[in-house]
Amino acid sequence: MTGAGAVLEAFADYVDGESAVVHRVALRLSPDRLTIALPDGTAFDWMADELREVPDQADSAGLVLAPAGDMLHRLHVGTGEIARLIRLNAPALRRRPPVENKGKIAAWAAGAIASVSLIIFVLVPVMANQLALLLPPAGERALGDATFEQVRTALGDADFLPVELCETPEGLAALTKMEARLDVGPDLPYPVTVAVLDHDLVNAFALPGGRVILFRGLIEAAENPEEVAAILAHEIGHVVNRDPTRDALRLAGSIGVLGLIFGDFAGGTVMLLLANQLINAKYSQAAEIGADDYAHAVLTEAGLPPAALGTFFERLRAEHGDEAGWAAHFSTHPRMVERVDAALEAQARAEAAGGAAVPALSASEWRDLRSICGPNSASEQGAAGRVGRQ
Amino acid sequence: MALRDLTTDYAGRGTPMFRLALKTGVLTVLTLGFYRFWMKTRMRRYYWSAIRPGGQPLEFTGRPTEMLTGFLTAVVVLAFYIGLVNLILMFLSFSLFGGDAPAYLLSFLGLVPMIFFAQYRARRYILARTRWRGIRFGLEPGVKGYVWRASLWWIVTILSAGILWPVKTFELEKYRTDRTWYGDQRFEQTGGRWSLMGAMKHVYIAAALIGAGSAAAALLEQPIWFVATAMGAAWAPLGLAHWKAESFKRLTEGKRLGEAGFRCRPRGGRIVAIYLLGGLAIAGLLIALLFALGMGIGILLSVFDPELIAQGFDDLASLAALPAWVATMAGLTAYFAAFLFWGVLREVFITMPVARHLAESTEIVNPDALNAIRQRPRDEFAEAEGFADALPLGDGI
Repeated sequence: MTGAGAVLEAFADYVDGESAVVHRVALRLSPDRLTIALPDGTAFDWMADELREVPDQADSAGLVLAPAGDMLHRLHVGTGEIARLIRLNAPALRRRPPVENKGKIAAWAAGAIASVSLIIFVLVPVMANQLALLLPPAGERALGDATFEQVRTALGDADFLPVELCETPEGLAALTKMEARLDVGPDLPYPVTVAVLDHDLVNAFALPGGRVILFRGLIEAAENPEEVAAILAHEIGHVVNRDPTRDALRLAGSIGVLGLIFGDFAGGTVMLLLANQLINAKYSQAAEIGADDYAHAVLTEAGLPPAALGTFFERLRAEHGDEAGWAAHFSTHPRMVERVDAALEAQARAEAAGGAAVPALSASEWRDLRSICGPNSASEQGAAGRVGRQ
Repeated sequence: MALRDLTTDYAGRGTPMFRLALKTGVLTVLTLGFYRFWMKTRMRRYYWSAIRPGGQPLEFTGRPTEMLTGFLTAVVVLAFYIGLVNLILMFLSFSLFGGDAPAYLLSFLGLVPMIFFAQYRARRYILARTRWRGIRFGLEPGVKGYVWRASLWWIVTILSAGILWPVKTFELEKYRTDRTWYGDQRFEQTGGRWSLMGAMKHVYIAAALIGAGSAAAALLEQPIWFVATAMGAAWAPLGLAHWKAESFKRLTEGKRLGEAGFRCRPRGGRIVAIYLLGGLAIAGLLIALLFALGMGIGILLSVFDPELIAQGFDDLASLAALPAWVATMAGLTAYFAAFLFWGVLREVFITMPVARHLAESTEIVNPDALNAIRQRPRDEFAEAEGFADALPLGDGI
């Protein structure tokens, strides 16, 4: 009988962990133990339930054995009947050793999390806030110029050309008039530079050094010039508060730390961007409200309706829905309902103070602004195409 | 009577390696990278146990938990450096120079000594957790000397436009080897500082052809000289394979372990063939995978928007038919699948065949000297290879 109950003899290689000599030993497998006889005649037993297999071995037919809890002794059993029978006989062959130092690992983990949180959530933001105010205007402009080119390239088409700037003379004139109306010169050490990019995104943002970017999609989504002026005032608010500079500096500090944590595993970059977005969203909500407040004040002073900011957001909300639940955490903008309410309150205050209501642009200037990317901009073809498909 | 020289068997096989690499890779992605310490440990156990000098497998005895602890240690130290120093450098760079290049340069230069530090410490950890015939390897402490030597020899290499690369390789290998032990027996690296120069000769020829061809074509305004440049470009990969095989041979044969030594016969042509055929196999399989993913996305699209089939797929805007979460999931799956398979296939078709060739072409000379070697004490090394793991050093073995 060759079943698990039989006694079987074979040879194997044994190392004792004291010298580099490999001993050729005789094995005797009984139902409850493995007897190992050394060439010098001595013999010892390893009990069946204490036999452990060294895992992940390349030679999958053979077997490397060690007694439980023993660091040094190894028995190299070759292929054959004996390896098969040991596998049958040893009940805990694949049991793993208990994890040592659980407390120490937990302490280090807590320490690492605490230290990284301190750096990302406290030290880096505090320093970024301070340094953003100390950065000379020329440095800020350089930072903004570098970022601007990156944004244009990133939004470019599949042919890797940067997104086109929109600059028909009439459109630029209308834009300049709108900027002049908002008149923010005294708040800034550098002039505000507004650029329109030929892209479908309904969005606008500010970069360090007074650069403000509007997308064609946003101008098309606006129903009147006051809405564009309100968005412009909001972005200028970011510039005045130095938010983009803070963001850029904070990014410089935190992106390396995040890369450190997620290591070099496949696609770590995605995790990195996601995590960074999560972190930024938290600060930016305060920044957005600050920029809204600034916009309300500037619009009121310029005799423009602060409510335009609200009507624009209201329409976006109707089209895209409010960002509720988990998605809100990933959003850099506070919930729109709250912002619309704030804009309406500002409007009420402005009306109470008796602000004059002169339109931001004349009807013809508004037409010029809407065609700042050229009369036959890609958008209209694109929009026509989309309508056709529905 | 002297024993016969010990030849080395190699027990690694493609299929089990593919399975192990894929399984641990998927787990690593699913755990946001947390499993990578287990992945590394398991892959190393496999690679180590595949190498069997004299029929006895190497064993990697490192534990994932100690690698995790070491990584956490490194994070605490490095996070301060990377977070605060990078921020300040970026600020100074824009304040003083109006650009970000100086910041990146300084930040990298600041990391370089730390990379050498991490390399030596990682080597110490790996050797301390490697055993053969039950006896531990070990590397003496000596990281300070390594960091300044590595910095010095790298500067020399850069100043010599790469010509002295073989000298740098030898000097650093000698520093490490002379501090490496097998049990109570110390290794010694013999051969001189210049002994690797010859192994680089084909790379020099390729570089000379490229340089001279381009220069002649530019100066004489005769495009025919670009033929020399093209010849050099074709020569370069062969030269690199020759360097890889020949420098391994010279360094290995120069190592002494007491009375025992090594004989090594790797072939550059074999290395070229592995890279060439392995590269082709990987490219073919990855293209097949991307094709399958594309089919999957196509099927999803036709489920959500049946009209699309009639209208045809014009451009990426047609993807808008997918609900956002489906598109996100499909995108993430495709992204991770491509990365994962690239890594797994590289192990199967490149890393393992190269390891097999180098192992099988190496023999231990005068092996009876090994029988006198006794065990060395365990190197309790709490930080493991944490710094190497946190810094992007690749997967050096």
